[in-house]
Amino acid sequence: MGTPDTTREPCPDCILDDMGGAFGMGITGGSVYHFIRGIYNSPAGARLSGGAQYVRMNAPKVGGSFAVWGGLFSTMDCAMVYARQKEDPWNSIIAGAATGGLLSLRQGFRASGRAALFGGAILALIQGVQLIAADKVASAAQQQQVFMGEAASLPPAQVYGQSVPVPETSSASEAGSGSWFGGLFGKGKQKGSEDKSGSKTQVLESFDAPPVPTYEFN
Amino acid sequence: MATNHDESTRLYHPYQSYELPINAQHLYKLPTSPEYLFTEESLKKRRSWGENLTFYAGTCYLGGSVAGAAAGVISGVKSFEYGDTTKLKINRILNSSGHTGRSLGCRIGAAGLIYAGIESGVVAYTDRDDVWTSVVAGLGTGAVFRAARGVRSAAVAGALGGMVAGGVVAGKQVLKRYAHI
Repeated sequence: MGTPDTTREPCPDCILDDMGGAFGMGITGGSVYHFIRGIYNSPAGARLSGGAQYVRMNAPKVGGSFAVWGGLFSTMDCAMVYARQKEDPWNSIIAGAATGGLLSLRQGFRASGRAALFGGAILALIQGVQLIAADKVASAAQQQQVFMGEAASLPPAQVYGQSVPVPETSSASEAGSGSWFGGLFGKGKQKGSEDKSGSKTQVLESFDAPPVPTYEFN
Repeated sequence: MATNHDESTRLYHPYQSYELPINAQHLYKLPTSPEYLFTEESLKKRRSWGENLTFYAGTCYLGGSVAGAAAGVISGVKSFEYGDTTKLKINRILNSSGHTGRSLGCRIGAAGLIYAGIESGVVAYTDRDDVWTSVVAGLGTGAVFRAARGVRSAAVAGALGGMVAGGVVAGKQVLKRYAHI
């Protein structure tokens, strides 16, 4: 369903990232909210310190509950991806339902079922909005490409290839990209070392295919 | 004749992982550095600040809540009373592990978030990333955590945090060098 998301880490590591991101969001939002509440609820002259006190008491808890939600959701999402072996909006919807259900399991089956429905519905809404937004972005990009014409493919790659060696310093990556780009501009093969049996071994650049064997008897 | 043993490439025999008596007629020169498709990726030396924040916050929260849950289970088991039914026992365990796990996880997660934020800020400001960055970040975290109790306790906590952070980084380097982990 469209291109895979390359901005996120692959599945097991994304759980930590999502948990951390949710924690950060929860703490930031909780800090703002509880700071304002603390300022409002404190006597004059002690407003700032009252706000700070409220933040210290309540913001980590908000962050923690967001983190639990985010971590559980991400775990369920990864589990669904692993179980179904595809990447779909359905994974997120089912994961949201499972998270909502799990988090209120202690309140009984009815409450758990209701929370699962709510979680699934919220995620379905989010996925729907994402799909519509992605559709709009894709159609806008397509229209832009049609207007731009064929100026896209070959020249920019060559221009890029020539301008790239400039920012490279003595970092270790230079050798790797240097040989890749150098080969593009025709470095050529080098004669290689002798092999064990005495037959000549050719050393190729890594992207060179070996020459097609000739059917001659040596 | 040709300098095909320079540092940046290594020779690769296509059938080297198979135990076959094939003598290669062609060896490939593979680069020894990681191969990147885009050069902007190859020039990146460390995590971006957002990745740093989410990673540290998530790891610390997870570690803290797991540790807190374990401690809570132990304290829950200790608080069993004579004549408790199984339901009551499970309830005690869940309550105490949930409570301790949540509170410890939140605190350590907040510490991790602040540490990551300060570290990213120091790296962005001074453009260097070594032990001292971690020490300064640990100092800052300790100070922020005890800022409400007064300047003296903030300074003490900051010094403690700096030493712990420096110790962890130095310990990791020592472990890598001598224990080959």
